[in-house]
Amino acid sequence: MKRRTFLKGAAAGAGMTALGSDAFAAGQPIDNRKVSTIPFPQKRPLITYSDRPPLLESPRYVFANPITPNDMFFVRWHMPDIPTHIDLNTFRIKVNGLVSKELSISVDDLKNDYEPVEVTAVLQCGGNSRSAFKPTAGGIQWGSGAMGCARWKGVRLRDILDRAGLKKDAEWVGFNGSETAAYYETPNFIRELHLDEIGDHVIVAYEMNGEDLPYLNGYPVRLVLPGIYSDSWVKMLSNLTVTSDYQRLFFMDKAYRIPDNECECQKPGEHVPTKPITKMNVKSLIGYPTNDTKLYHNSYATIRGVAFDHGAGIKAVMLSFDDGKTWHEATLGDDFGRYAYRGFTYDFKPKKYGKQTIMSKAINRAGEEQPFAKDIRWNHGGYKFNGIDVVTVEVV
Amino acid sequence: MKKTLIAMLLGLGTLNLQATLTEDVEVPYVPFEIKMGKHFDVVQANCLTCHSFGYILNQGKQPRSFWKEKVEKMVNAFKAPISKEDQALITDYLAEQYGNGQ
Ligand code: HEC
Repeated sequence: MKRRTFLKGAAAGAGMTALGSDAFAAGQPIDNRKVSTIPFPQKRPLITYSDRPPLLESPRYVFANPITPNDMFFVRWHMPDIPTHIDLNTFRIKVNGLVSKELSISVDDLKNDYEPVEVTAVLQCGGNSRSAFKPTAGGIQWGSGAMGCARWKGVRLRDILDRAGLKKDAEWVGFNGSETAAYYETPNFIRELHLDEIGDHVIVAYEMNGEDLPYLNGYPVRLVLPGIYSDSWVKMLSNLTVTSDYQRLFFMDKAYRIPDNECECQKPGEHVPTKPITKMNVKSLIGYPTNDTKLYHNSYATIRGVAFDHGAGIKAVMLSFDDGKTWHEATLGDDFGRYAYRGFTYDFKPKKYGKQTIMSKAINRAGEEQPFAKDIRWNHGGYKFNGIDVVTVEVV
Repeated sequence: MKKTLIAMLLGLGTLNLQATLTEDVEVPYVPFEIKMGKHFDVVQANCLTCHSFGYILNQGKQPRSFWKEKVEKMVNAFKAPISKEDQALITDYLAEQYGNGQ
């Protein structure tokens, strides 16, 4: 019986290749969603998936800029109850658990008593571009705009832990934000990091692009984990608990996980061992032109976009105007550090009238490059899509 | 009163405590256009506790099995207190209004 099922699976697999790889692969993420007419606090109108909790996506044109302005930065909360007011006179970050001295730190303490540090880093949801996966993978069907890049200022998480003094058995740190579930039995959104994951680049940030964090991006303080997907960048950070054991909490143990195999893939319905998504893979997005833009024949258009990875750094961005047959190297912009967006530009002179595709492919310093979307295999959560980006314009 | 406090702080040169968000932050209510239909009342009673209808709408058209699993996920993973009968009615509604015929 087992064997027969296996053979059936194998036959289906073979059929899949013969039919083209559409079945359990990816296409392009949805790209035609309109921005809402309703602006959220401190934000320009963005693509709005939900108001409670707020889920806002940046439209594609935002990726023409290597720093994402605060008012266009995407927003993603999990739980509907977010405090409506934070009083800095009473707000405290509590540090407890396996520490020699429990701490209760105000934002003012963070700014005055700790060494300030800055890092420019990409914040991307693990489910960014999820709508590319067919069949539909679990979760919000994001287009490509659940990501942004900002200059974060704050203090090293290590400095806080050192101040509290870790006890001998300390292994894990649990992070809790101030959002809460609407129903008392729903698991809270708590994340855990192993101490090995907390290097000097991990910071508790109170500033974003030179301003206070926007309320919807986690005011007054959030965790910043350069190179790592956003699931552990806890917002409105209010509590750090040091433990010796991993807690097996729902949002750690069930959510944000991918198959623990080489292709990080599975068939729909197939149960496989999983691992956390952690490091971001190499990716690029074209910010200009966007889909359906009209370009003029024989008139230079400057293509602009951004590329990034988990911190190896971007080596090159290649563009194709013939569906990937030939590639042309784009010019890279300023280097804001290895965790930041690397802007790219290319002056393109359209020679053909009608529909024209533009593809972008980033290659990092570790030699990893973006695959074609059709070669990306399915996973149940629709995580880590990094297909070669495609926009289609019209040359008139 | 509040003004004097701010003035005092400025006097001391401590700008740090002065927040830009001095009043409550109100998140707007967005009207999500969900389809009316048989058993919508059950959906309305059970599916708005933890999130907006936006979560249902962004999923696109899906087979009945997909909707059945989503309702079960809400109950098993997120502990939504929904009776077996109501779960079945909600699945019917979702398959009818947001189904793909499968
Ligand atoms: C007890 C709380 C609760 C209730 C009640 C609830 N949900 Fe959910 N739902 C959640 C949570 C938590 C998530 C995940 C939220 C997140 O991570 O943003 C979610 C996510 C979803 C998603 C996104 C897809 C996915 O796989 O995550 C859909 C669709 C959904 N819910 C539909 C429903 C429907 C239909 C109902 C009514 C039967 C319902 N929900 C009732 C808590 C609830």
